[in-house]
Amino acid sequence: MTSTLLFFGFGLLSVLGALGLILFKHPMNGAMSFVVTLISLAGLYALLSAKLIFAIQLIVYAGAIMSLILFIIMFLNIQESDLPVETGRWFFLAGGIAVIAPIAILLLKAIKSLPGGDTVIVGGEFGGVKGVGLLLFKDWLLPFEIVSILLLVALVGAVVLAGKRGVNE
Amino acid sequence: MILNYLSLSIILFCLGILGVISRRNVFTVFMAIELMLNAANLAFVTLARLHESMDGHVLALMVMAVAAAEAALALAVVILLHKHKGKLDTNVFSLLKG
Repeated sequence: MTSTLLFFGFGLLSVLGALGLILFKHPMNGAMSFVVTLISLAGLYALLSAKLIFAIQLIVYAGAIMSLILFIIMFLNIQESDLPVETGRWFFLAGGIAVIAPIAILLLKAIKSLPGGDTVIVGGEFGGVKGVGLLLFKDWLLPFEIVSILLLVALVGAVVLAGKRGVNE
Repeated sequence: MILNYLSLSIILFCLGILGVISRRNVFTVFMAIELMLNAANLAFVTLARLHESMDGHVLALMVMAVAAAEAALALAVVILLHKHKGKLDTNVFSLLKG
């Protein structure tokens, strides 16, 4: 009962945050409401007894990535006049809804055929650091190493792109 | 109950697509893409809970690592764009359009 209430609370908060992201004009307001979405998604992960993902969502997503984005938004010092004029915003939104809604309804009907299950909290190793870590370093070792190479390449790329100190011109 | 989580994931993904379609601000488009990644993560974790196997958790970790790399690169590109054009409009990115 409590978990159902918590699910609807977190789900409502995450949908409201996402709506705020796509409707607010200034990116700072959008980013702040996106943080609400990320935190309520962390709550949903906790309800699904994914303890490690819950912690990492809070630390990496809501903590690191969003503070990086907010830092860049503040760093560029965006005024109202710097924002692009979005005259066709409602037009594109209505067209997008007209295109997306049938696909969404199809998907919502399609998942009805999946076996439903209860979401009681699973104890023990499920979703904890030990279980996920063992799986990560046994079955998923190669993808893990590839992701580490990807992070290294992204690091070098970001330094090359943004780190120029006015050498050219 | 599991199906509610999947429905929420679909709704969040569609909201992300709508954000990418309807907005022209670079930051908002970028965060809408992050929203779609998060919706996919929610589906992964939900299905991991349904089958009680933890492979979905590992995949969610991978998606988070890719999102972190994407954030670093995309923000570097946004800083370059702002330095050169002084704008935050995605229409500025149409340099390759003949």
